[in-house]
Amino acid sequence: MADMPETNVPTVSLGSIFLAFFKIGSFAFGGVYSMLAFFERELVEKRKWLTHEEYLESVAIGQMTPGPPIVNTGICIGYKLRRVGGALVTVAGQAFTGTVVAVLLAVFYVKTKDNLLLRSVMKGVGAAVVGLLLSIIYKMAIKTVTDYRAGFFTVSAFVALAAFKINPICLIIASGIIGYAVYAGKK
Amino acid sequence: MALLQFCWILIYVNALTIGGGFVMLPMLQKEFVEKHHWITNQEFIDALAIGQVTPGPLTVMNAFIGYKIHGLTGAILAMVSSYLPCIIIVTLVARFYYKYKESGIVSSSFRGIKAAVIGLLASVAITLGSTSIIDPKTLGIAVISFAVIAFTKVEPTFIIIGAGVIGAFYL
Repeated sequence: MADMPETNVPTVSLGSIFLAFFKIGSFAFGGVYSMLAFFERELVEKRKWLTHEEYLESVAIGQMTPGPPIVNTGICIGYKLRRVGGALVTVAGQAFTGTVVAVLLAVFYVKTKDNLLLRSVMKGVGAAVVGLLLSIIYKMAIKTVTDYRAGFFTVSAFVALAAFKINPICLIIASGIIGYAVYAGKK
Repeated sequence: MALLQFCWILIYVNALTIGGGFVMLPMLQKEFVEKHHWITNQEFIDALAIGQVTPGPLTVMNAFIGYKIHGLTGAILAMVSSYLPCIIIVTLVARFYYKYKESGIVSSSFRGIKAAVIGLLASVAITLGSTSIIDPKTLGIAVISFAVIAFTKVEPTFIIIGAGVIGAFYL
């Protein structure tokens, strides 16, 4: 059944897994790559909970499964260390600080929504968010749209949503099915 | 009932989110803003900004939206619903990794999805842009943010905070 090799490290306690991921979730801001480097340093080099190869495998699994890749990498590492309990604890640790901060900000936001200064701040922020989105699109596009087939997927999805208002969930499922038909058997 | 529906949306959207937190945005915007009218485009943009400036994954924005809709219960259930599908799917994949890797079904489907998502995100960027870009100043902020994030290594978090500071003084 389990075709994943067992790890040979001594059992790590759930509490220490939580703390490690709490630290990762609290102090590692920003991009995927800085987070992944942080993981490697904390878990492979400092704590020696898993080997470099096991770590790379977890990163690969994190990227090929639905959900945020970093969280998924953590789930995979937690699962290797302590099965489902370990997986749950990594998510709780990684999401803890962000969730608490987001809820505090939400409380503040709901209370001061009509404050003029906050409105001005959020105007600036809103414009920057659009710039951020565009830069994400740009970075994803130069990595993913490398041939006419990928370009076809991108353009059709855009037109289907922007002009025809087709539900994005249907579009994602449809592009998965068409993707299989187009790319299956090709490398 | 609305709370249950909210959780259910987060569960299936996260189960379909392949390749990063940003992929969930077109689906969430459609469901939360356009279909159910639980939040406005403006609030969606604010949530996205919060998700970006808080430490940890972008998914944290769902806690913000959950709080906005249903208070603290909404925030907690939002996080549980967002991560539940990930935990189930990833632990299953970790168990059967080698079989999963060999099966072309997943990798070839993902290639289609990853390319399509770029188009979906572009469409959402236009929708959100028409809400938040309202004059030459906001257009300027958007253009500069794009250029800095796309072509330098500056953390997006600082750009968003900086834009907020500029907003406080000039907008």
